[in-house]
Amino acid sequence: MKRLARIGFVLLAALTLTAWASAQNLVIAQGTDAVTLDAHDVTDSPTASIVSHMYETLFELMPDGSIEPHLAESYEVSDDSTVWTINLREGVTFHDGTPMTAEVVKGSMDRFLDPDNAFTFRFLLDRIDEVVVTGPLQIELRLATPFAPLLAHLTHNTTAIVLPSAVEEYGEAFGENPVGTGPFQLENWDRGSRIDMVTYENYWGDVPAIDGVSFLAVPENTTRMALVESGEAHVAVRVPPQDIARLNAAPDITVENVSSLRTIYMYFNHTLEPFDDVRVRQAFNYAVDKQEIAEFVLGGAVRPSDAAIAPGIFGYTDVGEYEYDPERARELLAEAGFEDGLSTTLYSPSGRYLQDIQITEAIQSQLAEVGIDATIETLEWSAYLDKTREPAGENDVPVALLGWGTVTGDADYGLYALFHTSQHVPDGSNRAFYSNPVVDDLLDEARVTPDPSVRESLYADALQIVRDDAPWLFLHSETQLVAVNDAVEGLVIHPTERVLAWNVTVSE
Amino acid sequence: MFQYTLRRILIALPAIFGVIVVVFAMVRLAPGDPAVMLAGEFADQATIERIRERFGLDRSMPEQFLTFVSNLAQGDLGRSTRTNRLVTEDLAQFFPNTLELALGAILVALAIGIPAGMLSAIKRNTWVDAAVTFVALLGVSMPVFWFGLLAILFFSVELGWFPVAGRGSFAHLVLPAITLGVSSTAIIARMTRSSMLEVLDQDYVRTARAKGVQARSLIAKHALRNALVPVVTIGGLEFGRLLAGAVLTETVFTWPGVGRLLVDSILARDYPVVQGAVLVIAISFILVNLLVDLVYGVIDPRIRYD
Repeated sequence: MKRLARIGFVLLAALTLTAWASAQNLVIAQGTDAVTLDAHDVTDSPTASIVSHMYETLFELMPDGSIEPHLAESYEVSDDSTVWTINLREGVTFHDGTPMTAEVVKGSMDRFLDPDNAFTFRFLLDRIDEVVVTGPLQIELRLATPFAPLLAHLTHNTTAIVLPSAVEEYGEAFGENPVGTGPFQLENWDRGSRIDMVTYENYWGDVPAIDGVSFLAVPENTTRMALVESGEAHVAVRVPPQDIARLNAAPDITVENVSSLRTIYMYFNHTLEPFDDVRVRQAFNYAVDKQEIAEFVLGGAVRPSDAAIAPGIFGYTDVGEYEYDPERARELLAEAGFEDGLSTTLYSPSGRYLQDIQITEAIQSQLAEVGIDATIETLEWSAYLDKTREPAGENDVPVALLGWGTVTGDADYGLYALFHTSQHVPDGSNRAFYSNPVVDDLLDEARVTPDPSVRESLYADALQIVRDDAPWLFLHSETQLVAVNDAVEGLVIHPTERVLAWNVTVSE
Repeated sequence: MFQYTLRRILIALPAIFGVIVVVFAMVRLAPGDPAVMLAGEFADQATIERIRERFGLDRSMPEQFLTFVSNLAQGDLGRSTRTNRLVTEDLAQFFPNTLELALGAILVALAIGIPAGMLSAIKRNTWVDAAVTFVALLGVSMPVFWFGLLAILFFSVELGWFPVAGRGSFAHLVLPAITLGVSSTAIIARMTRSSMLEVLDQDYVRTARAKGVQARSLIAKHALRNALVPVVTIGGLEFGRLLAGAVLTETVFTWPGVGRLLVDSILARDYPVVQGAVLVIAISFILVNLLVDLVYGVIDPRIRYD
């Protein structure tokens, strides 16, 4: 009997071992756990990475910036640009087997657009007046006025198609019971720790070669890197710049460096002296050596900005960096009446963006060289957001560091909310209180112009004016540093700061 | 004893209510707004207003408090503003993990701390005593964060003995429990030593020794039992501290415990979860202290509850 038990045990152990060896599960370590698995309610990029494996959007923003139909098969725009007819792909099913139809897509979009649901990214599609079903697999999006960025906005992960009947069934718990059309479906969510997904065998496209993908939530950088080093994870995001060399030295790990659509800048509050003077703002731009910060504070892992948005975004044009020129900075300050220098406060978050407080400290010391005496004020993130979005008159933050990810890949989202006069905080996100009627006109026109090449030139003009007005101290666009085990092929590190395992293979 | 326990629980109720009031007010007085946090850098005023309304944050503070207390009386702690999950579900998932970790840590601390302290007391003023004292001092002064990371790099990455992070098997528990237990081990060892020394100087011990009781039995039967009363006190306090203060260890080892839940919720201004987590921690702290007081009676029959 004892012997039998022993044999049984050995067999069992052998079975589990083979099962373990043949199951190809990709393990990705991120900094945080998913907040929710309701695609419409996602607001942060680690959650977006996870959710993008379970849900899909009508259109897809490719890593090269082009837009491809995805759950949509084709589309047409009416001559007056107010009716978008979208033909949906045939044969798409949700994880519970329900086929995707025009009714389902309408239901999903109506839910996203319902003001009562208060989804943060609702504004992406709020130009749509009505979604109309015009065939079993055809819908029409009706707009009151033309809105050129619509296609780009339909690639955003929050606009993904969810199954309305599942939303109804699960109610408030839909965020834990996701039902989408994506290549993976939820298997297990150990909250605060890990999410396991298995491959959806009836996926309409190419069924993934791996059996599943797991996301671990590992907030501590060293632990996250240790997971890849020990082989327990295949991928770890947000590699600290100081660890790049060590990880690359490991025989089976490569640190990938992929540009992101996020721009880091310091804005000047135009309602406060002396930042109402363009010469002072330009002086700051000349006084800071962006190359040096990129190299020494960020380990070369960023790209100094030559425009207010990053390359890879539709509408980006190189309008020229402010070269490091302390002499010119001193001249401009003297012209503006500050030959004896000036003092100000730099607000900075700490730990929100890559090396944020270290960047601010470097800027502080470079400003000191041209006679600008800056003190640094850091606030915890929530308080920081609050303080920087107070209305004009009450807002006493003179200069502050922030980042902006143009996650739709279209310049409208990157420029309108930040530079249009109608978007001054607290109504929008123009924290600088920047206002230039010419820029306003250009941005307004680019919104309603259907022709992409015309839009591109409108944005080029706007970017040039913004550059010369210097409402920001232009810094850099971030790059994503991701440690990847060499056994992994086909991993997509998307410019929208998502890591996608759709087409991954793992070699033995 | 039953009456005593009941009285203690009744006395604890106002304390718990006080905790509720303070936490409720504190999270709301701190700068920052959950709606702004949710909306993030992308917020426009209309969205923020809608989010405020959705979570009832547009109502006055007394009104919010009344709703909170009346829901609490029905065992409803509300929904997280960040994840939209029921707070009671979150706590039911995260608190047992913290309990598991804290139990592991206190077991490590007692299993190593008490023998080490005894050894140190018996071998008073020898190199053994000095060594134990030195290690204990090291244990108290070592930052948990640093110790945990070193343990990962050495035992998991270099030697591959234990998993780097996460929760699941017994192997997952070893490093976090040791890391969290280190400072308690040191404190318990020091406490045991001094308490033991005090007892060893007592008349009855001298008498026992004079009448020829074996050293081993003298320590085990006569001295240890009496020396343990203060150790139990410290052990209980330490356990309470471990329940509430495991956030660093939880972060280093990616342990999904209530400490991390609490810190994440504070950063997101997720009021309902902060309130719920603090409430659970306060209640468990009070319960642990009650338990310690009851254990006294078991160790020392002279202690009576009436």
